[in-house]
Amino acid sequence: MGDRRWRILLGSVVIVASIGVLTFAVTTDAQAQGRRHHELTLLDQARHELSVARFALAATTYVRALAINHREALQTSIASAEAQLAATEQSLAHVEADAFLLGINVGTLRTCLGGVQASLQAISANDNNAAAHDLSAVSAACSTLANSAIAGLVYPFDFPDPDVILVGDTYYAYATNSVAGNIQIIDSTDLAHWSVVGNALPGLPGWATPDATWAPGVLQVGSTFNLYYAARVAGPGGGEECISVATATQPQGPFVDSSTAPLECQASLGGSIDPSPFVDATGALFLQWRSIGAGGQPATIWSEQLDAAGTGFAGPSGATPTMLVVADQAWEAGVVEAPDLVLDAGRYFLFYSGNGWDGANYGVGFAACSGPLGPCSKPLSQPILASGSGVEGPGSTSVFTDASGATWIAFDAYVPGAVGYPNSRDLYLRRLNLTGATPIVEPAS
Amino acid sequence: MAVVECTPRPPSTRSQSRARRWVPLATVGLIVAACLGTAAWVGNNEVQVNTAFDRAHRSLDTTTHHRRMVLADLAGVRASLTAVDGQVGLDATTLSQDTTQLQGVETALANARTNVSSQTSVKSDLQLCLAGVEQALNALSVNDQPHAIAALDAVSTSCTVAVAANG
Repeated sequence: MGDRRWRILLGSVVIVASIGVLTFAVTTDAQAQGRRHHELTLLDQARHELSVARFALAATTYVRALAINHREALQTSIASAEAQLAATEQSLAHVEADAFLLGINVGTLRTCLGGVQASLQAISANDNNAAAHDLSAVSAACSTLANSAIAGLVYPFDFPDPDVILVGDTYYAYATNSVAGNIQIIDSTDLAHWSVVGNALPGLPGWATPDATWAPGVLQVGSTFNLYYAARVAGPGGGEECISVATATQPQGPFVDSSTAPLECQASLGGSIDPSPFVDATGALFLQWRSIGAGGQPATIWSEQLDAAGTGFAGPSGATPTMLVVADQAWEAGVVEAPDLVLDAGRYFLFYSGNGWDGANYGVGFAACSGPLGPCSKPLSQPILASGSGVEGPGSTSVFTDASGATWIAFDAYVPGAVGYPNSRDLYLRRLNLTGATPIVEPAS
Repeated sequence: MAVVECTPRPPSTRSQSRARRWVPLATVGLIVAACLGTAAWVGNNEVQVNTAFDRAHRSLDTTTHHRRMVLADLAGVRASLTAVDGQVGLDATTLSQDTTQLQGVETALANARTNVSSQTSVKSDLQLCLAGVEQALNALSVNDQPHAIAALDAVSTSCTVAVAANG
């Protein structure tokens, strides 16, 4: 009986122990399952959050890429706009500069035009003094306009057949009749700015026709100034062109011509024009001029010695002048005129003009002479100064030396596009180089 | 009752009694075996669960690490985006100002060109007028009225326009 009890007790203990072991195992397993489940839940949550974060990162990266693209597009646009702005501002600056210059130009044009119009009205009213004064007042404005386009132009009004002399510190230039009167006179102290003085020859001798006096040449003989000029003979049987001389005690005149007949006419040769006085190294006076040409004699340049006063020819009455050159070159087209004899370093240069004075083919040639009465020869077969470089039909020269000893050549010419009468033949000045075998007219500086 | 209890059991009864003794033992044995077997299965299952837990834990650590990195990247990209957005704003403002300025300059340029064109036209008229008046002056100064009149007639239109432009 006791044994059975022990066996039952033992069996019960074993069973309880077994159940205890089982219960412990189940409990710990349940706990492990719980921890695993919790961990898996956390893992799921973490993975979801990672997924969300990755999506947010991708989306933000994409948005940033879009923003960068937008920024780059904006920067490209800014660069383009700023380049365009810079170019436009540059254009604006240029256009404004042009407008400014144009404004000045237009203002200067108005001033010049106003003076010329006033001068026109004055001359319409036979008031030559007022006309000259009006032109003088706008001379600077008109010169400014002309100088901006044409170098060497110093007096932008009609000033044909100029002759320039230096007296003291003042340069005087004389020219064919125009607004200022029978013989125009202007003066300057710097060769760049010229002012109208007026009419050098207020009165004409009785044998001369008004409004037809031209090509003056002035020479100082002692305290007297001689003005040689061409004039047309008036009255029945007249009409030919002849040379006369007037005198004055000062270079600006008034010159007075008290002659009763011309100094030289050469009626048989078509008349005489373009007188040009010359002083030789010995002090002897000479006069060169052109005969127009007639009776088989072509246009010719003559020379004859003057008396000591320069108001008449030297030698016996009836002495004949010496022929220097004739029109014999193609470019001259039958015309040689406006002589100007120059002595430089023992060499005689005879400058003359050829071809028609009212065309663009007018030009300046030269001949080398042995003396004031020749003989002369033409070394070249073409002019040394012709149309081009801003001038048309240059001619009618006057060579002179400035106060510093530099040699200049004055001439008249048309501005391009306005050639022929009644367009103006304006006054130009350029340096003349006589050092070589051939004279060179320097470009205007 | 006591007599019955002291009566010796027959051989068959002895075998039956012996069998009765083994039944509880067997039952206990089965119960113990079942308990231990179950406990063993549960233990094995727990080992597997713990292994799975360890894997899940390591994955969680890795995922958490990745998430931190991604969040750090995201923060950087967001900061960069904010900066870019700021630049875009500034650039847009600059472009707007440039465009406005450009429009102003273009307007000024157009006005200046119009002015230049007008001035050029006036200048051309003035030059024509001046040339004609000069011709008339030259002709009149040598008492050549026909040429003077012709010269003035030729430029009368230009002079009229120039005077009108003068106001």
